[in-house]
Amino acid sequence: MNKNAVTAGLASASLIASSILLGSRGLRHFDPALTTYALGSILAAFAVGYRFHLWYQRPPSRTYFVRAFQILVGRLPATYESSDRLTDAQSNQSLKQEVETKSPSRSSGVTGVATLGRAVSSKVVAQGFIRRRSLYRWIMHLCLSGGSTLAFAITFPLVFGWVHFTTSPDDAELYRAHLFGFQVDQFSVHGLKAAIIFNLLNVSAVIVMVGLIMAAFRRATDAGEKAVQTFAEDILPLILILAVTATGLMLTVSYKFLSGHGHGFMAFVHMLSVLALLIYIPFGKLFHMFQRLVALCVSLYQKQGGTGAQARCRCCNRPFASRMHVDDLKTVLEQLGFNYQFRTQKGSVHYQEICPRCRRKMFAVNQGRLLGR
Amino acid sequence: MASLIYSEEEYIAQYGPTPNDTPVNGWDSREPDKLVKTHCCFCGVQCGIQLKVKDDKVIGFEPWEEFPVNQGKLCPKGVKRYLQNEHPDRLVDPLIRTENGYREANWDEALNQTADAVRRIQSKYGKDAFAFLGGASMTNEKAYLNGKFARVALGTANIDYNGRLCMVSAGAANKMAFGVDRAANPWSDIPNAKVIILTGTNLAECFPILTDYVWRARDNGAKIIVIDPRITPIARTADLFLPVRPGRDSALAHGLLHQLIKNDWIDERFIEDHTNGFEATRELVEKYTPSLTEKITGVPAATIAKAAEFWGLAETSMLLHARGIEHHTKGVENVLSYINLVLATGRIGKPGSGYGTITGQGNGQGGREHGQRCNQLPGGRDINDQGHRNEIAEFWGLPESELPGEGLTACEIINDIEDGKIKGLISISFNPLVSIPDSKRTRKALEKLEFFAAIDFFMSETARYADIVLAGSLQEEDEGTVTTGEGRCVRLRNSVPPAGNARRDWEIICDLADRLGKGDHFDFSNSEQIFDELTKASQGGPIDYGGMSYGKIEANMGVFWPCPTTDHPGTPRLFEGGKFFHSDGRARFHAFDYRPPAEDVDHDYPIFFTSGRVVSQYLSGTQTRRIGGLVDQYPEPLCEIHPLLAARLGVFDGEVIRVVTRRGSMSLPAQIVKSIRPDTIFIPYHWPGKKAANQLTNRALDPISKIPEFKVCACRIEKLEGKTNPKMN
Amino acid sequence: METNYEFFVDQSRCIGCQACVQACGECGTHRGTPMIHLEFVDRSASVQTAPVVCMHCEDPTCAKVCPADAIKQDDNGVVMSAAKPRCVACSNCVMACPFGVPKMKVEFELMMKCDMCYDRTSVGKKPMCATVCPSGALYYGPREYIEKHRTEQPINEFDFGGQKVKTKVNLMTAPEVKSFPFDVADFLPWEAQERDPLSLARAGVPDAADNAIWNEDVIAHPESEGTPV
Repeated sequence: MNKNAVTAGLASASLIASSILLGSRGLRHFDPALTTYALGSILAAFAVGYRFHLWYQRPPSRTYFVRAFQILVGRLPATYESSDRLTDAQSNQSLKQEVETKSPSRSSGVTGVATLGRAVSSKVVAQGFIRRRSLYRWIMHLCLSGGSTLAFAITFPLVFGWVHFTTSPDDAELYRAHLFGFQVDQFSVHGLKAAIIFNLLNVSAVIVMVGLIMAAFRRATDAGEKAVQTFAEDILPLILILAVTATGLMLTVSYKFLSGHGHGFMAFVHMLSVLALLIYIPFGKLFHMFQRLVALCVSLYQKQGGTGAQARCRCCNRPFASRMHVDDLKTVLEQLGFNYQFRTQKGSVHYQEICPRCRRKMFAVNQGRLLGR
Repeated sequence: MASLIYSEEEYIAQYGPTPNDTPVNGWDSREPDKLVKTHCCFCGVQCGIQLKVKDDKVIGFEPWEEFPVNQGKLCPKGVKRYLQNEHPDRLVDPLIRTENGYREANWDEALNQTADAVRRIQSKYGKDAFAFLGGASMTNEKAYLNGKFARVALGTANIDYNGRLCMVSAGAANKMAFGVDRAANPWSDIPNAKVIILTGTNLAECFPILTDYVWRARDNGAKIIVIDPRITPIARTADLFLPVRPGRDSALAHGLLHQLIKNDWIDERFIEDHTNGFEATRELVEKYTPSLTEKITGVPAATIAKAAEFWGLAETSMLLHARGIEHHTKGVENVLSYINLVLATGRIGKPGSGYGTITGQGNGQGGREHGQRCNQLPGGRDINDQGHRNEIAEFWGLPESELPGEGLTACEIINDIEDGKIKGLISISFNPLVSIPDSKRTRKALEKLEFFAAIDFFMSETARYADIVLAGSLQEEDEGTVTTGEGRCVRLRNSVPPAGNARRDWEIICDLADRLGKGDHFDFSNSEQIFDELTKASQGGPIDYGGMSYGKIEANMGVFWPCPTTDHPGTPRLFEGGKFFHSDGRARFHAFDYRPPAEDVDHDYPIFFTSGRVVSQYLSGTQTRRIGGLVDQYPEPLCEIHPLLAARLGVFDGEVIRVVTRRGSMSLPAQIVKSIRPDTIFIPYHWPGKKAANQLTNRALDPISKIPEFKVCACRIEKLEGKTNPKMN
Repeated sequence: METNYEFFVDQSRCIGCQACVQACGECGTHRGTPMIHLEFVDRSASVQTAPVVCMHCEDPTCAKVCPADAIKQDDNGVVMSAAKPRCVACSNCVMACPFGVPKMKVEFELMMKCDMCYDRTSVGKKPMCATVCPSGALYYGPREYIEKHRTEQPINEFDFGGQKVKTKVNLMTAPEVKSFPFDVADFLPWEAQERDPLSLARAGVPDAADNAIWNEDVIAHPESEGTPV
């Protein structure tokens, strides 16, 4: 057991636990029937925190988080802020453009926030990159992620006792919604608003079901996908989400159309499947919802890298990446135990200073030379 | 009346070339209904390939590893060939030209109008005023049918084909030397050779599959000698490279033979027992000392001596050549001079020893065997041989007197059209506007035609001049056979029906014959019937398919001719035991002295110009310029120039320059490379119009084979002032 | 389906035809996007080309530098393309791979790389590139074939400076070589050295580069020769 990771797990578990305590006003509004769900959430929070920390500790991930923080607060080392392309006399035209579009490095914190905002809207919300990969998969993924987010947004506050409903003491047909114990709304049970609120979870389930059907079809028919998919990584999460969604919908069916027949059993199965899903999240494919946080850091990093100093290939002398990226990778490689340092009679070269294109060419030239070809 | 009706842009907008990038059903879910085992439609290797077919559409390919020649291997053209199907440019209706452009017609109308035009022109100007031009990418069945159609239905002597631009000089030389026109060995002999001469063949780019055969020979200890003005990919790692000056090939062969004789590396016994004419040849090459040969060819004397030593001392050997020595006004002489090397060492007709011309077109071999040529009748028979004429006239059920005599060759037909002697033309799968030298004159000729009908599946640059365009069939839309460069007759299988209202080529030809009153000679209901008639027609001829049938070819993955009877296994290796096809059973040496090309360099045009192919394009590009991936690989012609020459001219890499010859000029980017002789430039020829290398080439013809001199002429390079590009990195 | 087939690369045989590139995109997991690399080393100097497939390292650097755990290895050591949900398009793998293999598809925000045609090899078929390669530069088949027919020696260890890399894919090299000594020093411009480093690409056959015919004389006197005296 990694001690720091345990600490991180405990921290996130206690965060959830204390938010339940505070949000439900000392468990006053906590629904004891949902205890198992709450405990499951706390357990999952521990696992997520633990797993997240293990992942975060790895040199490549940590580098991006640290750099993103530095960029946001304007504390990036000065060497990475200036551009050596300004001294590039090879192309006057690109030089001019460079001068006109180059943003002052002082404002990197401000532009950093803007970049972050744009990244959140395009990557987390709109998920445009998935649309460009495939329209089908974009719709599928929006259904799954959107539907699930909606469902969690409804259920967690209920489970944690942050939200609860009471009937008006004057009128039993009047509902009152409370957030953290404060009344925020009041509406008629027969009104449209009530219909929406009470059915929102079903709506989210239907959306998720659409995504599930699309995903299942793709996994069953696409030859390329069939070849690379694995049960634990690709099929199990679909089964878990299906179990949660289907049993959830059946609860509704049960009390609406079957006068509660089988409700207890179904509730039990639903609870089990939710627990399984929560516990699976940190250890499988679905953890990407947390890991993609680093995509936001990468956006900042690449934005900064694009305007900052460039590294030129030691072989072809063309710029091929930001100097920050090359230097960071040298450090990361060393931390990971790699040693790509060439010490030759002519001097010392780190392999990271040679662009991938030249590496491929040198590979062929080296091979040919050994064979006299 | 045959001038263009649309602008260049309008043609392109309507008929392409449009690069097709994506399979018809997209990249996902490409599970086919069936895999059809057939062959690639490009080049004389005819690689086996399986086409993926779903709902009567070709959606992709799968390698066919069981086919012995290529064992699944393919070049980029083969990989992407399936994209010519379901193509937006595909002609799907017969088109009739009106004053306002082409209109879609029905078949009756188009065929009747064509037949009317044939009758009108022939009654006014005579039978031979109507010519027929065929192609060597078509099946044996169609090639046979074209010859029969021209002679029986059109009654014209003027039928020829685009193989005239390909390897006819090698074919003529093979007949003169060996008495038969076919590669002497199956390709499976290549890996067993201990020395290989590749002369005038950019083998790695034009016949990529044969590369593995050559490397396997090297793995077995063979020395590889490459003779070429350019260091082509096969030359880069060869053991010896002879950078011959363009147009000097026969001199180099003489120089090599000189060394073989001088060092007694010849097989006197074989020469004595199996050949004629060696003495005259020995006398001729006497003067071709290494130093004289160096002076003529530009190949260092020491390299010549080394090459002769490699060749002379080897136990087994293979000499392979292609268009590089054939596309000359002395093409036949070049080939014969190299054949002398093979005969002098007696290394032919044995395992691992032999000779071959590597045929370029899809059916370059079969397309030239059964009467699609102006001087030839089915079975490789000679149209001027009375006995051969009688046999075929009787077989076709005509009086011998009605069988036309020898007609004009392809370039001569175009010349005669330009001169107003030929007034009408039917062409099929032939794009002379791109493929014949001196394209300015070809254009002029096409504009002069009174009537022109083109059968094609895409609107080629030549078809744009047609009065009637008859939408024909792609290779995968018909059954048939082709005969590969090694003489192996293989089966093409129908994968999908012709697109839209397009029809199979042989159906169009038979229907036209019917309208010309000769329907009873063309009563075929499928390709197999045509093949069966072909085999019977060939029986007893020099090229004997008599014992072949579709079933036999399929069962054996191809049958090598000669195969005279049904129980005959076919003949992969010719000339075993030193038996040649001349009536005396002996091969012939030929002593042609070296002579310079029709146009040599001089003060005004001081640079050699040579043309050729790139690996991603095929011939005039009618098919390959329509396939996206292949277009991207090499989008437009570049002019290869050595840095020494470039420095002298002040030309930098990527600069647009103008190349000028006595026929015309073209502007294109320079590509500065050390892989070409400094006195020579190279431009690939696959593009039309202003990008056509054949604007520059010389339409001088070889006196024997009438092949034009694509491979050498004189040019100069001019800088385009104010149009210079910055140096590209 | 299990086979004992292995991948062998011999770049010196490559003729640059790009059949592999065109075929690579045809594979079911690649969907029109070729993953294999094929470039001229330096076209002005030579027609030498560099075909590069993923060598499938035993301890893949690309996977180690991935911040998102997106690159996985299967049980047979095949290093997969980036997992679509995880890849964050940071290009760490592109930059760190010793062979220069991963490709960043910027518009998809996704790294894609050679996965040995997983949909084919996992059912016993050969990868597209090695099936079609006309020169034998890319070969996929039994080791016995290579041992019997090739004079070159297959190895799968590489020394990149201080780093030893072991791979699943074999490279054909000279018989005496046990671990491929990847050299960079000769190909870099050092001080007081003006040449283009990659012009060390082999220009051609041994006699071509220094051959008398490649000198200025042949341009200066083009018409002086041609007819025998």
